[in-house]
Parts: sequence; structure tokens; C-alpha cells
Amino acid sequence: MIIYQRRSPVVFPSRPLKTDIRDNWTVVLEYADEGDGPYVIDLSHKVKWDVQSADISNIKPFGLTIPEKPGECLFKNSVLAGRLNRTQAMVWDLSETPSETPDQNSFTDVTEAQLLMAIVGREASQIFEKLTALDFNDPGKKSPYVLQGPVSHVPSRVVSLRSSEPPVFLLSCSRGYGHSMVEAVLDAGREWDMTAAGENMFLSFF
Amino acid sequence: MKRLTHLPTLKIDTSKKISVYYRSKTHTGWYGDTIATLLYADGIRVFGRSLKYHRPRGLYSLDGECSNTMMAVDGRPNVRAETTMAADGMHIAAQNVQGTSEKPVESTPEKDWMGFMDHLSWAMPAGFYYRIFHKPEKLWPIAVSRIRKAAGVGVLTSGYTVKGRYDEIYPATDVCVVGGGPAGMEAALSAADKGLRVILMESRPWLGGFYDYRTSLDADGVPLYRKANAMAERIAGYPNIRVFKNAPVVGVYGNSMVTAFQRGGRDRPFEQRYIEIQTRSIVVAAGCIERPLLFENNERPGVMQMGCAHRLARTWGILPGRRAVFSIGHDLGLEAAIDLADLGMKVVHVADVREDGQDQRLLDELKKRDIPFSRGWTAIKAGGKRNIEKVTIGTVNGMRRREFSCDTLAASAGLTPVTGPLATAGAKLEYHHLTGFFLPVKLPDNVYAAGRLLGLNDPASVEASGRLNGLRAAAACGVRVDSELKAAEAETSVLPGPVRNSKMVTAPVKNQKMFICFDEDTTVKNVDQAMDRGFDVPELIKRFTAAGTGPGQGGVPGHNLPLYVAQRGDSPDVDPRPITVRPPLTPVLLATYAGRNHDMHKRTPVHESQSASDGRMDRAGVWLRARYFSDDRRSRREIENVRGNVGVLDASTLGKFRIFGNDALKALQRVYIGDMNRVREHRMTYAAMCNDDGCLIDDGVIVKQAENDYYFTTSTGRSGATIEWIRYHTRYENLDFHMVNLTDAFGVINLAGPNSRNVLQKIADVDISNEAFPFMGYREFTINDIIPVRAMRLGFVGELSYELHVPSSYMQAVWDLLEKAGKSFKIKKFGLEAQNTLRLEKCHVIIGSESEQRTTLCDLGLGFLWCKSKPEANTVGSVALRQTENQSGRLKLVGFKMKNGLERPPKDGSPIVDSRIRGYVCTARFSFTLNEPIGMALVEDSYAKPGSVFGIYENGCKGRLIRAEVVKTPFYDPTGERMKS
Repeated sequence: MIIYQRRSPVVFPSRPLKTDIRDNWTVVLEYADEGDGPYVIDLSHKVKWDVQSADISNIKPFGLTIPEKPGECLFKNSVLAGRLNRTQAMVWDLSETPSETPDQNSFTDVTEAQLLMAIVGREASQIFEKLTALDFNDPGKKSPYVLQGPVSHVPSRVVSLRSSEPPVFLLSCSRGYGHSMVEAVLDAGREWDMTAAGENMFLSFF
Repeated sequence: MKRLTHLPTLKIDTSKKISVYYRSKTHTGWYGDTIATLLYADGIRVFGRSLKYHRPRGLYSLDGECSNTMMAVDGRPNVRAETTMAADGMHIAAQNVQGTSEKPVESTPEKDWMGFMDHLSWAMPAGFYYRIFHKPEKLWPIAVSRIRKAAGVGVLTSGYTVKGRYDEIYPATDVCVVGGGPAGMEAALSAADKGLRVILMESRPWLGGFYDYRTSLDADGVPLYRKANAMAERIAGYPNIRVFKNAPVVGVYGNSMVTAFQRGGRDRPFEQRYIEIQTRSIVVAAGCIERPLLFENNERPGVMQMGCAHRLARTWGILPGRRAVFSIGHDLGLEAAIDLADLGMKVVHVADVREDGQDQRLLDELKKRDIPFSRGWTAIKAGGKRNIEKVTIGTVNGMRRREFSCDTLAASAGLTPVTGPLATAGAKLEYHHLTGFFLPVKLPDNVYAAGRLLGLNDPASVEASGRLNGLRAAAACGVRVDSELKAAEAETSVLPGPVRNSKMVTAPVKNQKMFICFDEDTTVKNVDQAMDRGFDVPELIKRFTAAGTGPGQGGVPGHNLPLYVAQRGDSPDVDPRPITVRPPLTPVLLATYAGRNHDMHKRTPVHESQSASDGRMDRAGVWLRARYFSDDRRSRREIENVRGNVGVLDASTLGKFRIFGNDALKALQRVYIGDMNRVREHRMTYAAMCNDDGCLIDDGVIVKQAENDYYFTTSTGRSGATIEWIRYHTRYENLDFHMVNLTDAFGVINLAGPNSRNVLQKIADVDISNEAFPFMGYREFTINDIIPVRAMRLGFVGELSYELHVPSSYMQAVWDLLEKAGKSFKIKKFGLEAQNTLRLEKCHVIIGSESEQRTTLCDLGLGFLWCKSKPEANTVGSVALRQTENQSGRLKLVGFKMKNGLERPPKDGSPIVDSRIRGYVCTARFSFTLNEPIGMALVEDSYAKPGSVFGIYENGCKGRLIRAEVVKTPFYDPTGERMKS
């Protein structure tokens, strides 16, 4: 059987120790010298959908109700649903086994369009503070929630998935910015010895 | 010098020694010393020379209010020695010193060969730079060169690279407090008590403001420095108060943003970092600085502000000198004189410009110590060549004088508020007669002022003011604090209010060097000269005399200049007007503004493999794209390979979108100039978008994928604006459609050349013969049942070609497959330069190359894309196209060839007929296919017919025109046989 390798837009300057081929993606499960965090983890292979409809409130992706207010998110059974505006939502499947695109016209698979990285660690919000004016320290906001705006000048979506023990953020932007964004994130995290970690590390937090 | 190591107010750690190098000697101080205090403690009094007159300059404010102590540190010029912490191993050098040593690091500012400039001040009256050396004209460049060489402060050596890390952070908060003195700390605490997030900004390395060095007691008998410590400790216990120390504020913008920078170095992982704070309300409690006293030689080393002298002893354990005279205008000066006398300095006299208003307790303390005191007296002259040796004081009216020998003169006319943050926020400031301050009379919403800058002096009043305004800021964030506010207002109402400050006093001397601005060597006499020439507004005098335009950002002259101008003006009853303050309130390194400066760009999915194949990757908008794959800048082999064989181009940067929903077609009809009803499945439609002026702004293809579900492409440059453009032009109709930007979702490969079909057939799972997949056809197929491909038969380069849209993650795999399949055909990559020549031969336009802001669709010969039967009102650009369709005098796109056997294409230039410019050359290249140079130009319609001849004026042609002739287009394959076969 021919295998055509799919390539992630995110490449870390670290040596992969364990990998897994999944839907033709080479998923790095563990990197050498992952250290004690904070971590940046490539999740670009996770399936992501853009959902748009005038009647978006009645769309139930994988049984989830899309939150009503823009910025609100729901995270259940490894699926994240976030409301972006009046007619738009995002749905990310963070499970190990990717789901099929729901047979609804309002869903567009944007897995290929966007990179996805997790930034995990006690210092994660400080790292983001160096990259963006988006406010992830507002005690009035309860995770999970999504903010849209520039991160290192690049239009992005950032989900605060968990606010403590340790905080987990998901950063998504156009795939083409992969190289630059990795450079910017690792540079911002250098102060705290940020390292690249594999998908296993991400899963270990849930 | 023996330092005072027992004081409880010290901010130095005497257990940690620090050594720096200055003038080839090691100077040792302690951790906590600034460069200036370390050198001062080691006997250095002259730190540099002044800008214009090369006068010796010394320690003056300790807060970097002027350029006196700017030095070169480790090769970096203009470092503020007063505010830069000393670090082990620093190499320090004086600035603006000439002649004492060949090595700048060994130059001694005590001796400066350019010191004679001080005697030539008569030749440099106010505005001399603007008024003389202009005639004869030839003199000016020489004069400029000499003046610039003689003047200036630090010198940046060529090739100097800024070392260290320059960071940036963008914190958000509810309340931002500017100033970490007692009022600022109280404001922060009262807002934080309400559960709000607070950011507290302090420019010094510690909190405390005018409390931190003072041993005076408050009303409860607590020394002020202890009170400051206690408040700072309380603040440290609040997790919702974030303190940025050593972080001067740069500007306040409206009521929602504060910018600052923080000095790092030593214990921090950055040299400096830019701080941009988003906030909901702002309290400015920046306190006061001292207003310089105007007398002869008021900047001579040994003359320093009263706070400078006091803090030097109390904070750093350095007595400023052995014998001191005080010439002051505020009780803080009396307090400093008493305290310094107690610490061991001989205070020989205290002169106070005020006739009355002194705190009697302080006068009693002076008397107890036998320190002579004079009311209504002021310093008249500081004597001594490089350091002061004597001081003349006298009555303000000049009737009596006395002279004292001394090595220190603590001189200050009083206080002036630090209102810069308020001014940059948009507050309106007016002169306040009681305080003599420029005070805010109108503040922007959610911006509050507190503390000493309001003219308050009593510690309890200052603190209460902070609490009150902290509550106001909390209320502005929506917190209910009604009862606390009332209580705080009641508290402040019974406390002492603003106090009278000393008035403007100028020493009774004439034509002597009394400096109103140290940085620019501007004297009171210069201001007089400006006013004698008719300048009567401080803003203009500032520009004419340069007062306040130096690195101190107006710190020294900011208050004195408008006061002096008002006092000397023809209408003395006119209130002084403050000078406009602009950011940065404190100078910031450009490196700090640059920050990390990551080059955020996009890379296509095959960037690495193109780069590895000698692709030269150039910036094209946000993308990096391959321009050439060899050193041949004309890309001859790449071009010939496409024309005769097969080439492959990475076109992933094209904009790609999905538009769907019940009204998707209506939305497309609105923005595309053609009829979108004609878009069918399995066929592409080439279409263009115009703006309201009928000018071409975008082109691409549209494919119908299902009912009311379309996939369309845009040019690379427009993809970022496409969604907004369509939304904008449908904003009033409540249309039901949705768009998804898929630009990055698909990589695009342009497979072009007569062998392209043969190559593609090797990997495609379907029949792609001309019959099965004709020109302008659209097909979806898979490669080995795995990789989905959206294929389009297009012909931008004028050959049989396919545009393959593949999922970005598979792009490299497909690219490799094509290279492998094309190996037997000698497939080659081609870049943007080859594509540009190929499409030029075919006369296919690139928006921006063959069009500009005035170029309509019809001007480009693309009028066939316009559907005239569509309702004009519902089609963007249609009305303008109708109006301009037959308009004469427009520039039309033409193809041209060179005449007279010229074998090179023209450079950028303009077509000339009858000595007039008739348009401009858009693109011109040598066509290897036609073996002659060709080009496209926009020319006036009357010269657009084939056979018209024009000259071309090229850059640098010195009037020698080359000739060209308009020809029929396209140059290559006019019937399109090659594309369609």
C-alpha cells in the first residue's frame, strides 16, 4: 500500500523520540528532552471545522450545543465547540481518532487551513502576554473560552482550555505562518525554558 | 570617599561589590549603585561636556531629567548614568570630549579641547543655525558639516550592534496607576481592595516616591521612609496588584492604553522591554520634579537639585560634598539641609527665594544647628572653573550679595508637577495661580489625577488623594463604591489642600550664562533674543532656541520656559501656557520599540523543497515565493522549458474561498462584474472584481460545486481583503451567505507546457485528454485513491497547463510525484520571474503591474468580462464602467516592441510623444520565445493603435530616448491554440 505522507506546518527544532502514523500524518508522540515545561505541542493534525449558518444555534456537532455568546466554548468528549460570532462557530476534535465531517453543508473542514498548537504550563499566560494583547488573565473569564486577534501580529484564535494545573492554551492561525509562529512562540518561552513536547504530553493533562 | 553605610533608607547592598572601568581605572561601588552614584562616590564630578559650548556637566537630578550624565557604556552612547544600574565589568566613557586622549574611553571630561566654544557663545545667538551661514549658498553645506561635528553628544561607531534581548509584553488590567509614590500606592490598594486588577508603574527601581528617602515624621510620628516600606509590603501581599518597577511611562493614550518600558539587565532576562497596557481606567500620581533655579552657571558640576543632594546621601550613602550652600524655594530644601547637616555635611547657608510660607518647625531646626537662613534670597552665581568653588547669593531684587566658598550648591526654585502622562492622555492643563503649577482642568473620562501633582504637600492629603482617586478609578470600572467614595471625599475635604509654591525668580544678573535648558545649552539670554525677534509663544521660542528639544524631553526647561516667557512678555497679565508634551515622555531605545521583531511571513507547503533546489525565496506580500531557480536573473532555461517541454510552479499563494448559503449567488453577482448565473459545474468561469470606480481590483476563477456553493480564487495580494470586501458590498441586504478562507488549506501546483498532460496522466486516476478535460474545465479526482485533487485547465502562461489544488498537507507528496512522473520529460521548476515573462508574451495582466488606481477594466482590454445586461445598481463598478467606457484621453494597455534593432527591453520609464509624457511602461522583458524585447505600457488612447511610435524616457537616460512601436497583442500564440490543444 502506498503511503503519502502528510506534513504538518509545525516543525520543532527537537528530535522526535516516538511517532505514530495516523491518517497519513506523522504524529510525534514524544520528543527528546521534553523537560519540565512549559511546553509547545503540535496538534495541527487534529480535525477542525468551521461552522457557519444563520441558524447556528440549532446545529449540534457531535451532540454538543454550540454556546450562545461569542467567545464561549464547550469542551466535552475531546471535542471543543466555540462560538465566534452571530453565525459562526469552530469545532475542533482533539481526540486521537479523528471524526468524519458531519454531513451538513454548514461544516467546512479547515484542518488543512489552520495550524494548531497547544501551549501548556504555569507560565503559559505570561508567554502569551509577550505575543499578544489578548487578555488571558481576566479573572472574569471562565475557561474554556476563545479570543480572536493578533498573536505576534498574525490573525489567530486562542482558546484558553484550562486556566490552572497547569493552564492549557490552544493557538490556531493560518497554516502558512507555521514556521514564523513556532519561532515566535519558542522565543517568547525561552525565558522559562519552553520545549517542544509530543501529543502524549498533551493527553497526559486530561 | 567614605560612604554612609548605617542609614536605614539605603538602597545599596554593601555586601556586594561592583567594579566598572572608567578612564582606564577601576571604580568600585556596591550593588544598587547607578553608574552615576558609583562614579560620584569615587570622586568623579564632571561626567561629560555640553552640546554646544562644551561646558563641564555633572550630577544634577538623579532621575535623568537632563543629558548632563549621559555616557557611553560598553560602546553604546547616550546611556543615562543616573538611571542605569551599574554592573560588574561595565566600560564607561565620557561623551562630547575631544582631544584629551586618542582613545575615547580614556577621554577626561575635565579637560576638553573644544572648551573654547564657551567663549564663542556671542557668535551663536538664538536661532543662529537658521539665520547665518546661508549666504553665500556654498557656505551652508560646509557650515552644517562643521557645526554637526562640533556639536552633539554620543557617537555611534559604524557597525555597532545593539546587544542583549529587547522584549515586549502586552498586559491588560482594570486600573493602571502611574507613579509608585504614596498617592499611587494608596490608589492601587484602594482599587485592588475592590477585587480589580491593578498595574502600578514606577520609574525608579523601588516604590516610595518622595517618602522613600525621608526620615521626617508623619502626623502619627512614623518616619516617611518606613511608611513607604510598609505600603510597598502591603502591595506585595496583593496578588491582584502587579508592579512594574524601573519602568518609566512613555505615554498615555486616551483612557485605555498606557505604554512604558522597563529597564532590565542585571537580574532580568532582557535589557529593556516595551510594555503596552490595555486598561479600563487610569490614575496618574506621578508626583513632582524640581523646577531649576535660574542663576549664573546654574549647571556647573557641584550644582544639583535639593532632592538629588538629599537622595544621594539617604539612598546611596554619599554625601554630596563637604561644604554646601542651599538656594531653595520649598520646605523640602529646608528638610534636606537639616538632614544633610545631621549626616555630616557643613551647610554654610540656606537661601530661600520665598519671603514667607516656610514651615516654622524646620526654621527652628535650622536655628538649632546654627545654619544661617535668608528669606527672599537666591543664588546669583556659581563660581569655579570645572567644579564650583564658591557661590554668590543675594536678595531677589539684587540689592545685597554675599559670597561663600563651598563645593556643593543644592539649588531648586521649587516643584513642578509631572503632568506629562495626563497631557498625553488629552487632559487640558491651565496655570494655577496658587500653586504656580500647570494643573489639569479637564481630564478624559476614566482618567484621574492624584497626589502631589495636584499641588498637595501634606502627607496625609497626598495619601487620601490616592485613596479617593483609586476608588474613582474602581467606580469607572463599574464597581459600586458609592459609600466609600463619599467617605473618601469627606476625608480629603478636611485635610490640607494645595499649597502655595514659590514663584518664578530669575537671579538679578544680565547677559550671563543662566541655562534654561541644559541639553541644548539654551540660556535665558537666548530666550530674550528670541523674544526680541518677535517670538512670543513658548512653543515657537522652544523651536527657535531648541530649549526642551534635547534628550531630557523638556524635564529641565518644561516649566521655566513658559513661566519666563509669560513674565517677560508684553502682556504680563496673560497666564503662562504650558508647552505641548508628546510621547515618549522618557526617551526609549529604538531597539526596545523594535522588540523581538520576528519576521512573520507565510511559507507555502513546498517552501523547503524549493529552497533546497536553489530557489531564491523572495517576499511577495505576506508570503515567501520562489523567484528563480538559477543565477540567471532572466530565467531563460525555466522559460524555454515551459514553452517546449513542461514546468512546475508553486502557486499556493493564490486566494481560495468557499462561499455558500441561500444568497451566495447574489453576493457573487454583486462583486463580480460578469454574470455569475453562467457559472456551471465542471467548468471554470474567469471573472473580475472592480471597485466603485470601475477599476480592476481582482481576478480569478469561480467553480460551482453545488447549488449555492462555490469555490473561487483571488489574486495573492487580495486574498486578505476578500471576505471584508464582499461583506462590505452586501452589508445592507441581510443576504444569507457564508464564506470560508481556504487559502492555506490548498497548495496549488501549476503544471505547464506541452508535455504537462503526459506528466499529469501518469498520476491522475481519470482520463484527462483534451476531450475529457478541455480548456477551462474543472475536474475533481484522486491520486491513487488517496489524495483528492481539484484540477483546473487554465493558461496563464499561454501553454497547455493545469492548476492542481491539493490539500496542503499532501502538497509536498504531489509535488514529488509530479517531479518523479516528469523526470523522463526533464520537468523543471520555474519561478515568478519566468512566469512573469511567459504571461507577458501572452499579454495576461497582473493587477498592480499593468494596472493602477485609475485603470478600469476596459482600459486593460478586459471589457469582455463585464456583463452589461446585469442591473448596474447591483454590480460594483458597473456604473463607472459605463461612464468611462468611451471616455477619451484614458490610458489604454498596449503591447510594444523596440524599434531600431534595440536588443534590450526598456527600464522603468515613460512613453514620450511630442516631448510630453503619454503614459508609462508597465512591464518589459526580453522574450526568448520571440527573440526580441517586448513590453506592455499604459498609453494615452490616441497613441494606443498598432503602429503608433513613441519614445521611452528611462531613468538615467540623460534625455536620450529609445523608440518603441505599439503592436498587436498577444505577442505569442494569438489564437490560443497552445492553451486549448
